[in-house]
Amino acid sequence: MTTVEKIKPLVLIVDDNSTNIDLLVNTLKKDYRLGVAKNGQKALDYTEKHLPDLILLDIMMPGMNGYEVCGRLKTATRTKDIPVIFITAMTETAHKTRAFEAGALDYITKPFHTAEVKARVKTHLSLKKAREHEIYIASKIQKTLLLGQPPRDINGIQIAQLTIPSQKVDGDFYDFFKINNQCFDLVVGDVMGKGIPAALLGAAIKSHFLRVLNELIRLTDKKEFPDPEKIISSVHSSMIDQLEDIETFVTLCYARFDMAKYLLSFVDCGHMRTIHFHADSNRCSLLRGVNMPLGFPEQEPFKQTLVSFQPGDLFVFYSDGLTEAKNQDGVLYGEKRLVDFVQKNAIMESKELINIIRKDVVAFSQSDIFDDDLTCVLVGIEKKSTSQALSDKAKLEIKNDLTELARVRDFVRNFCEGIPGFPLDNNRINLIELAVTEVTANIIKHAYGEHTGERIQINALLLDDKIVLQFYDWGKAFDPKSVPLPVFDGSQSGGFGLHIISHTVDEVVYSRDKKGRNCASLEIKL
Amino acid sequence: MKLSTEKIGEVTVVTVLTEVLDASNAEEFKTATAPILKESNKVVFEISQIKFMDSSGCGTLLSFLRQLKSSNGNLKLCRVQEPVRILFELVRIDRIIEIFDTKEEAIKSFKMGI
Repeated sequence: MTTVEKIKPLVLIVDDNSTNIDLLVNTLKKDYRLGVAKNGQKALDYTEKHLPDLILLDIMMPGMNGYEVCGRLKTATRTKDIPVIFITAMTETAHKTRAFEAGALDYITKPFHTAEVKARVKTHLSLKKAREHEIYIASKIQKTLLLGQPPRDINGIQIAQLTIPSQKVDGDFYDFFKINNQCFDLVVGDVMGKGIPAALLGAAIKSHFLRVLNELIRLTDKKEFPDPEKIISSVHSSMIDQLEDIETFVTLCYARFDMAKYLLSFVDCGHMRTIHFHADSNRCSLLRGVNMPLGFPEQEPFKQTLVSFQPGDLFVFYSDGLTEAKNQDGVLYGEKRLVDFVQKNAIMESKELINIIRKDVVAFSQSDIFDDDLTCVLVGIEKKSTSQALSDKAKLEIKNDLTELARVRDFVRNFCEGIPGFPLDNNRINLIELAVTEVTANIIKHAYGEHTGERIQINALLLDDKIVLQFYDWGKAFDPKSVPLPVFDGSQSGGFGLHIISHTVDEVVYSRDKKGRNCASLEIKL
Repeated sequence: MKLSTEKIGEVTVVTVLTEVLDASNAEEFKTATAPILKESNKVVFEISQIKFMDSSGCGTLLSFLRQLKSSNGNLKLCRVQEPVRILFELVRIDRIIEIFDTKEEAIKSFKMGI
């Protein structure tokens, strides 16, 4: 855009007749930079190399004629939007029609008036400039309004995204909605249509999602986030009139990743099939929903589909721009190629993988300019081992004071909730909290008794199939056998602690080392 | 510790306004409740606020129960949260103290006999 404004536009004149060339050069040289080609092949070479802003093309030339040159220019993504004006002595309607069919924008017959040539060239260049400006605006809308930022603090997940805007922005959009530290929603979509209308509609849909989420959350209990199918139904009913008015529709996939349950629930509305790579079998499956795109008037109720996943799995969401990228022979990149490529490289980190997907599509189409927007969002489920190193050990030291019990519980809860894959549900964590409260209270009350200013050290360890919680104190020795069995008839107020501990964790070991340090070690199987 | 009491006929309903009842505040709970148990021998504890209880909490409730029974009264519980209910089952308090879903049911049970 800016280069077009600063320097004179480049016009290519293609003609085999020197007299005609001279005439056109003299007519245009004051206002434009000019290139000249004397046959079809030279015209194609010049265009490929210099990308002129407009081409004046003679029809009758030896070798490749003007129709053929024009046809070739129109099939290549890089050159298909360059305006072509035919200049020829042939005046019959059939010829003009054929020229337009070949992709010409306009037609000037010889002998021509210089004023007419000037006027038509000027008109088409300003139309081109207007089209480019629209694309510029639309791509601005896309960058700022259509593409959301992924949540950064969801445990056990890697998100990477790729967008290559096309020359004709076509309303691809995606966004993320974080529900809590273990759950987020992702929506990817594609508006039918191109340019500013599609981009604006995409932005409107995104704002509808935000509004609907807001309303649904206000209506329901705050702990209950509305289901994806409920969200899509509400967005659809609030937009159907507008979509019908402008006669368009939207394909999308709305997916919720629940890292506590390792469950994906998604509503697919005619979008591209999402790829699910399974780490255990090293194979991919394709996720397809049962719903029609948004904007289709008579909709069955929207239905969501549930899919469970495992550590190491990977999900690939994308727009048709990716699988419909063409090579120079018009062959599509295709779903199968993408699936095979993902399967072969799924071991990589999401960010790396998305980079090589980009490289593969560019290498395939031998171009980094595409007909459609190309968007792709990867959601990788981290393997347990990769994040284990971060949280496999934790330490806490407390005073021998009963007011510290809450800290012990918080420490243990945080540790349990931070285990990748979330093998412990809330009920089990509640029981573990109970056990550690009893252990700590016993140490404070019995091992240290009346002594103040003493310390208790607590280690939490994550091993392959269990967690170990160790409580160290330097108080009196403790022999569990010396403690009488609990009485459950209501006649005693105490004596339940050891019973609770042994019934809430999988194993308890009490020991004392030579330095007089007591250790209570609790094991919880995962 | 904050307690709110309400006298309904012969029954005193004590709403326990704490989220945690463990070894750190069981004594405090005992002290705060003592005057109530002197006034009334039919007591319902509404414990919906309590999210966490340990064996000290259980022990305190059992000592209240013994005290009330010795004065020909009783102690009942209502609106028990899930984690606390699991603890009660573990130490078998659910077999010794009657537990009700609502305050009204607990009060009604007193009218039908201790």
